[in-house]
Amino acid sequence: MAVHTFAAIYIGTYDVSLKIFEFTSRKKLHEVDHIRSRQDLGRDAFGTGCIGYEQVEELCETLAQFKQIMLGYKVDDYEVYAAAALRDADNELFVLDQIYLRTGFRVKVVSNSEHRFISYKSVVGQETFEEMIKTSAAVIDVGGASVQITVFRDGSLETTQHIEAGIMRIRNLLADRGQSLKMYETQIEEYMNKKLEGFRAMYMADPVDYVILISDYATELIRRMDEKEAGCQVKSEKFIKFINKLQKKTLEEITRELNLSDDREPLIIPALCIFKTLVLNVSPKEVWVPGANILNGIACDYAQRKKLLTISHDFDADVLSAARYLSRHYNSFTPHIEALSKLSIKIFDAMKKVHGLGRRQRLLLETATILHDCGKFVSLSESPENAYHIIMSSEIIGLTHQEREIVALVVLYNTLPLDDYEELSDRLDHEDYLCVAKLSAILRVANALDQSHRQKFKNIRIAVRDRQLVFTVEVFEDISLEQALFEAKTAYFENVYSMKPVLREKRIYHY
Amino acid sequence: MEPKIDFTNPAYYDNRELSWIKFDSRVLSEARDKSIPLLERLKFVSITSSNLDEFYMVRVASLWDMVHAGYKKRDIAGMTAEEQLAAINKAARELVNTQYSTYMRSLVPMLNKEGIYVIDAHEDLTEEQGAFVDRYFMENVYPVLTPMAVDASRPFPLIRNKTLNIAALLKSKVNSNETVFATVQVPGVLPRLVQIPGKENTTVFILLEQIIERNISMLFSNYKVLCAHPYRIMRNADLTIDEDEASDLLKEIENKLKMRQWGEVIRLEIEDKADKKLLKFLKSEFKVADEDVFHIAGPIDLTFLMKLYGIDGYDRLRHPSYTPQRVPRIEPGSDIFAAIREGDIFLHHPYETFDPVVDFIRQAAKDPDVLAIKQTLYRVSGNSPIISSLAQAAENGKQVSVLVELKARFDEEHNIVWAKKLEQAGCHVIYGLVGLKTHSKIALVVRREEDGIRRYVHLGTGNYNDSTAKLYTDCGIFTCKESIGEDATAVFNMLSGYSEPLAWNELVLAPYWLRDKFLHLIEREKKHARAGREARIVAKMNSLCDPGIIAALYEASAAGVQIDLIVRGICCLRVGIPGVSENITVRSIVGNFLEHSRIFYFWNDGSTEVYMGSADWMPRNLDRRVEIVFPVLDEELKEKAFHILQTELADNVKARIMQPDGHYEKADRRGKLPMNSQEVFCREAVAAVPKEGPVSSQRVFIPAEPVE
Repeated sequence: MAVHTFAAIYIGTYDVSLKIFEFTSRKKLHEVDHIRSRQDLGRDAFGTGCIGYEQVEELCETLAQFKQIMLGYKVDDYEVYAAAALRDADNELFVLDQIYLRTGFRVKVVSNSEHRFISYKSVVGQETFEEMIKTSAAVIDVGGASVQITVFRDGSLETTQHIEAGIMRIRNLLADRGQSLKMYETQIEEYMNKKLEGFRAMYMADPVDYVILISDYATELIRRMDEKEAGCQVKSEKFIKFINKLQKKTLEEITRELNLSDDREPLIIPALCIFKTLVLNVSPKEVWVPGANILNGIACDYAQRKKLLTISHDFDADVLSAARYLSRHYNSFTPHIEALSKLSIKIFDAMKKVHGLGRRQRLLLETATILHDCGKFVSLSESPENAYHIIMSSEIIGLTHQEREIVALVVLYNTLPLDDYEELSDRLDHEDYLCVAKLSAILRVANALDQSHRQKFKNIRIAVRDRQLVFTVEVFEDISLEQALFEAKTAYFENVYSMKPVLREKRIYHY
Repeated sequence: MEPKIDFTNPAYYDNRELSWIKFDSRVLSEARDKSIPLLERLKFVSITSSNLDEFYMVRVASLWDMVHAGYKKRDIAGMTAEEQLAAINKAARELVNTQYSTYMRSLVPMLNKEGIYVIDAHEDLTEEQGAFVDRYFMENVYPVLTPMAVDASRPFPLIRNKTLNIAALLKSKVNSNETVFATVQVPGVLPRLVQIPGKENTTVFILLEQIIERNISMLFSNYKVLCAHPYRIMRNADLTIDEDEASDLLKEIENKLKMRQWGEVIRLEIEDKADKKLLKFLKSEFKVADEDVFHIAGPIDLTFLMKLYGIDGYDRLRHPSYTPQRVPRIEPGSDIFAAIREGDIFLHHPYETFDPVVDFIRQAAKDPDVLAIKQTLYRVSGNSPIISSLAQAAENGKQVSVLVELKARFDEEHNIVWAKKLEQAGCHVIYGLVGLKTHSKIALVVRREEDGIRRYVHLGTGNYNDSTAKLYTDCGIFTCKESIGEDATAVFNMLSGYSEPLAWNELVLAPYWLRDKFLHLIEREKKHARAGREARIVAKMNSLCDPGIIAALYEASAAGVQIDLIVRGICCLRVGIPGVSENITVRSIVGNFLEHSRIFYFWNDGSTEVYMGSADWMPRNLDRRVEIVFPVLDEELKEKAFHILQTELADNVKARIMQPDGHYEKADRRGKLPMNSQEVFCREAVAAVPKEGPVSSQRVFIPAEPVE
């Protein structure tokens, strides 16, 4: 049978949900069932820091029921994801163990960047999305724990920022202060404005055309605003006006108007305030709610891995464009970087048989190359350490946390001597350690070839000959600096690959 | 500007209880219709009688509750509970009088003419008959009787709700000054009608209570029986469960069933020539006032007439029985899923057979590709094939979810039994929802096919009950439209306790969405009318008493919308009020089959919308029940639904039309051919059956060729 059935389960901050998908050659990705069960895990996780046993009990119970439903559909495969609520809980491991013992589910707890990437995957590939990012758009993903804003301009990704101001978190922070609803709303808005101040100053000098809003309540909201059109896209003035109108009402009236299942849905108030302040701060022309959620993202991600689905969007390009933006942001993006990234990739490709690394590592190398100079923005002398920290604190959508670590270490060891595995064993496993070593060795050699940062070489041919890596370069300038340092810079490379880089020049006098 | 009309003015509304009594009298008038065969007429008397019993137990009882609770709020027509009780009492007495005069004065003589005798006074027995009766008494009745006397040491016994009893005053043979009260229940386990020998070509029956009365002295050997009279009481039996308190809904209902006998007495029926002293005693024991005592000029509890309706050998006195026809689109025995894939299918019961619905579940239970079956069950027939199919499906490893509504009135005991049976078979049984009665009728079959999961849905206006489907007119559709399938899945997720879906594609559900949807649809017609466009609503249902909907209809009518309503039972809306309801007509069809389908038609400026479903326009359907109303999407099906409405609007035999003063009159037939909509549907269903080709009807043995 050409149909592949897949179940995606997501343990969120305030609900646990299950979607059943079918992948068919005809319908591509098709949603069959969607089940949500309300569960305020976030209340415990962000409140006491620990998920209480009643909650665990309830969670396991729900998951066990989901398993039954899943079996009922005879799914071919399934994946269970959890995000902030479990990640932030002190008893994460015990809860996961309980879940495993009782349901057999191995829950994948994803880091914020992975989480965001997955939910980003749910909108990517939709035509409207690809159209919107051609001009400029901000994808705003409002979750229970935090908000993620990803900015696109001229078709490429600019930045992605993580702001710890999710619906559930805000509610835990500000609710129950015994004040009026109006005051509560004002407080949230003030708080959000403060949180967004920096973002606006840094990235919103030019307003974007579209906001693409991903959030649970957004769908209900937009549907009420725009009952005639099914597009779920409204002018931002209308969006703000509608929220303002809602905010004049009581909680009961709001929930009734939005047709929410719970009469007194306490999360809707912070949600509305957050949507409003976000849209005001980003000031787009239009707001679009694609209505997809993380479960669709999980399915897309799965399908992509299993080659059940082709997504036209180039995620690698996102990573590189984000890296370039970051590099520019720290004033380190120069012709040198451009040349260097081409060069390092060239070396990587030439050595395919020697290093045994794959496509993904190639992307990491390119990213590391683009970012390797950004530490100079902070301090010229301690550039490598600063670069490491800058990379580690910047999100690059499309890279997992682990991959980011690799990129940062590659940059670090581009200059500093490689530490022993023992030093790094808490951050890297064996394979990743080797990867860091191999990539940083390549980066170092590439760097050695452009010591002057003047791109003196015009044509470089790279080839592996016996135990030598031969660079044949065409030059018309004096390259004695490069020659002199080449030896020193390549010792590390020899060490890693048991292979000696050799520089051969071919002088040309006419060009 | 014209003066603003307050459409909620109580003067514009009819009281719902009184409107119900009007309905019961419409049923009774069928019993007085000379064009109807005699036994059919008896059936209608029986129906009015059991209807009235239920009405008392539920509606009157709840009014009494209100009186006791000091509830002062006025109803839709501006009446307090006390005023309503008084008015009901008057109307009910009239109804009962008509009932008995119909039975005694016209039906009994006609029965006798046909050679059928029902002896309701044992004094009339011939000697031979008397001997037979006495022997019958000793052999069959006497062993199960429990006579109970009341004196200083023996308190007044519990008299069970709705049971027929005989009260007697006794005088001791020893101490002649003392009179003793005694009562004996007429056993419910024995048939009420006992056939006794009679002259040739006659069928003679005697009522069980007469047999007991004749032999009552046998029960009290030391006493002299002064008088003996049958009587019956009605108690407050409205089942209101406090669901928030009940930790276990099931237990609670089981308890309630036992407790129900203890309700207060709200009506006492007694033979009209009963002894004054005896009556006085009963009145004081039951604590009933004079106005709640009904003196009955005939046999108490006429529901036995239903048995008489079924007697053998008098087919000429009944309508020829009608066999539900096959649904043209579904060949019996063929793959029902394949038929549904070809397009939506419309079902109109009982004109068309209910078999496809039973087959739908039966085939699903056996089909290896079926993953899950989900269904709501409200009132199910005794030995339901649907239940056994569901159980079988679970045994075949399919996911079977069944929502069993335990709160279906008077059916709880019955429901609990088969719900447990299903659970044992491995079905996931949901015992209703806290605070809401699940009245929706939906069945979903999830099937894994070549190109992915496909959902088949049956949506109906009537219960999944194969026996009532032969008597109730109901509509249903089969579909495998994806939008409806998705909604159906969402319905069951919601009923299983998960969050409701973010949005519905096609289905409209009560309690949260349905009211707004109907108000919106009515409002839309109003807008069309205001804008000078044609606007029309045709709606068919069982009862109409929701104040909000009625007010909206009044407004729409005032704006010029033509509204034609086909409301079988209660209708609190009034027609012909100047400026309010001049554009509304209301008709009620009471016929051989019980009108039960709900169809809602909106003209919508030419792009008509037709809905069907399980909900009436009553507050309980819109606010306190889970109901599903579904759009009829397919153009061909829409035509069929509208055809039903049109035919019923043209009915001039069984339709009674509401007059501005609130009473109903038969349609004016002058110059028109008689048109009985139910008969039309029967004929149409017969005509629609595809003719079998000559080839298939040929039956020939084919000799085998010799082997070389």
